[in-house]
Amino acid sequence: MYSACAKDCGLGAYVSIMAASISGYTFSSVCYHSANSNSDHEGFLLGEVRQEETLSISDSHIGSSEFLSVIEVHNHEPCAQLFSFYDYAGNVNEENLNRILKDRRKNVIGWYRFRRNTQQQMSFREQVIHKQLTNILGIPDLVFLLFSFISTANSSTHALEYVLFRPNRNRYNQKISLSIPNLGNTSQQEYKVSSVPNTSKNYASVIKEHGTDFFDKDGVMKDIRAIFQVYSALQERVQAVCGEVDQSERVREKIQEEVNKLKEEIALRKRNSAEEERRLQEATAVTLPDNSALPDNSALPDSSHSSLTRVVLSGPSVEPSLERAVNSSSPPIYSTTLPPDSPSAILLPRPQAVGSPGHPSPSVGLGNGDGSSSDSLNRQATGQEDEDNSDEDSSEYENLVSEQLQPPSLSEAVTLGRPATVWPDGDAHSPPGS
Amino acid sequence: MNSLSPEAALSRISPELRPLLCTVVRNGRVGLDSSGCLRITDLKTGCTSLMPGPCCDRFKLHIPYAGETLKWDIIFNASDPELPPDFIFGEDADFLPEPSELPHLVSWDAGKPECLLQLVKELLQQYHQYQCQRLRDSSRLLFEYDSLLDDPNYGRSMEIYAGRKNTWTGEFSARFLLKLPVDFSNIPIYLLKDTALDPGEDVALLSVSFEDAEATQVFPKLYLSPSIEHALGGSSALHIPAFPGGGCLIDYVPQVCQLLTNKVQYVIQGYHKRREYIAAFLSHFGMGVVEYDAVGFTKLTLLLMWKDFCFLVHVDLPLYFPRDQPTLTFQSIYHFTSSGQLYSQVQKSYPYSPRWDGNEMAKRAKAYFKSFIPQFQEGAFANGKL
Repeated sequence: MYSACAKDCGLGAYVSIMAASISGYTFSSVCYHSANSNSDHEGFLLGEVRQEETLSISDSHIGSSEFLSVIEVHNHEPCAQLFSFYDYAGNVNEENLNRILKDRRKNVIGWYRFRRNTQQQMSFREQVIHKQLTNILGIPDLVFLLFSFISTANSSTHALEYVLFRPNRNRYNQKISLSIPNLGNTSQQEYKVSSVPNTSKNYASVIKEHGTDFFDKDGVMKDIRAIFQVYSALQERVQAVCGEVDQSERVREKIQEEVNKLKEEIALRKRNSAEEERRLQEATAVTLPDNSALPDNSALPDSSHSSLTRVVLSGPSVEPSLERAVNSSSPPIYSTTLPPDSPSAILLPRPQAVGSPGHPSPSVGLGNGDGSSSDSLNRQATGQEDEDNSDEDSSEYENLVSEQLQPPSLSEAVTLGRPATVWPDGDAHSPPGS
Repeated sequence: MNSLSPEAALSRISPELRPLLCTVVRNGRVGLDSSGCLRITDLKTGCTSLMPGPCCDRFKLHIPYAGETLKWDIIFNASDPELPPDFIFGEDADFLPEPSELPHLVSWDAGKPECLLQLVKELLQQYHQYQCQRLRDSSRLLFEYDSLLDDPNYGRSMEIYAGRKNTWTGEFSARFLLKLPVDFSNIPIYLLKDTALDPGEDVALLSVSFEDAEATQVFPKLYLSPSIEHALGGSSALHIPAFPGGGCLIDYVPQVCQLLTNKVQYVIQGYHKRREYIAAFLSHFGMGVVEYDAVGFTKLTLLLMWKDFCFLVHVDLPLYFPRDQPTLTFQSIYHFTSSGQLYSQVQKSYPYSPRWDGNEMAKRAKAYFKSFIPQFQEGAFANGKL
């Protein structure tokens, strides 16, 4: 049936090893038949032989392929009596053989014998018969399973020993270990499922009848299809999300670029305004040599210059901006104006300059991109001279009333800041909003 | 289990198989060495333990062969006693006889009690051939075998045991057991019937062990059946010459044969010579003869008188007379030694020649007695007490 010859041709050695297994129920069935017979017992082993090839490549030799022949015993056919298919001289009678095996002849992979209290060695007649069976059945690697049952003298202990031979090999390689799956400590090992095909007719008919509940027309389990569909759906979604992520990443990239650009502009403007301030200072230093009063120096005389006073009075409002301009330590973000048409910019968190003196908490963006709401705050702080304001101021004051409602609710949202661009009242700079 | 007497073993065998085994155990002699008969040990049963005894149907048979003992397992089935047995040939896993050459297996008849014995003999023949086949591994030993085979004296009664190769040195060893064609029939019966054992056939076997294939280490040994050994004078009879280095069996074996034959001849001759000697003494000394061994002619006692001095003369004739000189023991009938024995003197050397015939020996003996007696008398008076 299967070739399993061992050749040693130097490089690329070709090794054939055999492993055998017998299912637990077949083994117990053979033992049952044997133990119940009052004499020696024999029969045939039915099953199949599988060939596995392992190719191993190592540094020591060029690829060697290992052939593993695996024998699986599925069933057995006991003989009712001794000498049922052979005569005294050990000649096998093919007719009798066929009568015993019937149509299972092609499944024969070996034969077995059971004898009590004898050595674990093939006997004379067994060897003669084995040779003939090999020829008649045409199985080059026919195996022989020998059971020997040893009892102690007082029948207190009985040992069933079994050895699997393959006598068609050279004499040094004859015994194969026979494993019985799941005969052992199954708490440590997994319970193995054997690949023995089920030949029971009852089983086949039940499965046919109820199989449609579980299997679809192709023989695949229905659950598998359902799971596969779920899997496909998940895959699609993942792909979609990937697309979205890709898009948002690109947008983010663009925005990041814009942010960088704006940062550069801020820096530029800061430098420019710093320049201007310097020039201004130089100019005022020339005209008013001791007008180096700091904004919180209340010792300044009130009456010296009305504009100056005004300047001083509104110092807290003016000078913060001046100071802010001078004091470049405050974050430059506060002195810039936001481009009015970027609503998302409103949502961007802005760091608060903790500790910048007199700096009122900026109000959250109220739609004016120009900081007029903070103007309204400041104006409220220095409310007195608001009355002296021009109309435009009063109009702003009106704005202030309406806008007054909003700041308190937004005052705690400090982090979302509008630049506290404060334009001094009556300053040359007119609020851009007016 | 192992040291069962044959009868005890038989009683444990299943009744249907007993006749077959009786023949084997009681009459079973196979091979050359018939002194060791077939033995049965390790009786076991193939039935379930629920079967009431006796139901043993499988055992080990010990067969002496070529100086070794073969232990073959024989397996019957007590529930099918008419079926022929199966065999496991012990260590000789390679030995597989051809069933067609075993007529007693092919036409096994459990009704004939000698069937098993005959089958065993046939198997042994096959085994012998198998061993001879194994000799082909060594051309030297094969030559030895072939040369012996051609010789009609030895060829037909030879057992070869070609041992296993020594696994260390890869050396091959073999043992030849040959039956020597020596005729023991003329050995006087009296020599043979002394043995307590059942003598069986008188046989001399030469065993030659070759410890290596080149025949550089050869150990010959001679085995004689117990009666022959006794007849030839004990274990000293077993001394044979060493195997000559570079020699071969076809030269050595006849040599040993000749040696043995010569010994036998000596013994036979000695018997006749002794008879002659005694007869001559009888005629010369007549009434002086007290007693003599009339079977083996080994002893003779005379009562003689010289000048009123009476004395006894005991003559002991050795096995290899006339080569060996008889021993004369003079004994005084009057005097005792301090230990209460009669005073005596032994004379081993006196004028003697193996070439004299009986008459001559008797005459010379008489003359010697005359010359020696005065000396003896003096000694007796001096050392012994009345």
